[in-house]
Amino acid sequence: MIRLPAADIQIGDHVTRKFFGLTFNVDTIWSTLIAAAIVLVLGLWVRRRLTHGVPGKLQLFFETVAAAVQKQVHDSIGVDVVPAAVPLAMALFLFILVANWIGQLPFGDTPNYIPPPTADTNLTYALAFTVVFWVHAAAIRRRGFFPYVKSFFKPLWLSPIKIIEEIAKPITLALRLFGNIFSGGIMLALIGIMPVFILWAPNLIWKVFDSAIGVIQAFIFALLTILYFSFAVSEQGH
Amino acid sequence: MAANTLNQAIQYAGAFTGGGLALGGGAIGAAIGDGLAGSSTIAGVARQPEAQGRLFSIFFLTVGLVEAMYFINLAFMALFVFVLAKK
Repeated sequence: MIRLPAADIQIGDHVTRKFFGLTFNVDTIWSTLIAAAIVLVLGLWVRRRLTHGVPGKLQLFFETVAAAVQKQVHDSIGVDVVPAAVPLAMALFLFILVANWIGQLPFGDTPNYIPPPTADTNLTYALAFTVVFWVHAAAIRRRGFFPYVKSFFKPLWLSPIKIIEEIAKPITLALRLFGNIFSGGIMLALIGIMPVFILWAPNLIWKVFDSAIGVIQAFIFALLTILYFSFAVSEQGH
Repeated sequence: MAANTLNQAIQYAGAFTGGGLALGGGAIGAAIGDGLAGSSTIAGVARQPEAQGRLFSIFFLTVGLVEAMYFINLAFMALFVFVLAKK
């Protein structure tokens, strides 16, 4: 029997602990906490060093992100309609960016002790369902509960499509982010099979590509959040 | 990963075929989608070169969404090949 080297790859292994009968992927949990801590520390540091003069690089980065998010929200919704949309989108972008990039540093291989937390569907589903919940809450608060429900059945022949779309939104939002980052990990495992004097080249190329994908997926998540808000609160249908 | 029984052999065959189909369909779809997005970007820039910045950001957004479908397929391929085939 020939044993393929690719057969030794184990993916989706997490460090787990059991509390109250539930199994928790604690490596995802502490990676999430590390990523959140990094974002918070950077944000507080920028606030402390805030200057109206020539801004430092970190402040420039935050200002660029904030300006881009505000412009996008203003173009789609109008800033005062959902005032929570700007900080929500910015927090999502920064957190998902840091969470995706945490995976670039190797901390062990089966199990990876600090994996990118977005490579676990638990985190991405949590993010997606939070976003969808707030989108529905903002729409109900703006339009009223019964007008919002009725807007799904206004053109009656479109209502199955609308309902399926509402179900598909959180699922695709979660799985898109998960699939992108998880496949980065799989590709690294496959590259690791090659002999050392060869693997440095695809390793370098793939890690650069993975970093770019991390940025793009964080941007897409935040942009889709803003777009879903704009669809939900827009009056007179769309 | 040796197939000791006929059942296991059939399981491996099914899992690998399913994984290959998922990857193949995903790759075709992603390539066609990226190609269409790129061709529209080129046509737009050719028509109006000063719109290049805005067109590029929409292009990257579309590429990200299209590649997302491929990566979801890749995740399912990994599920079939690496997880379900071992059981």
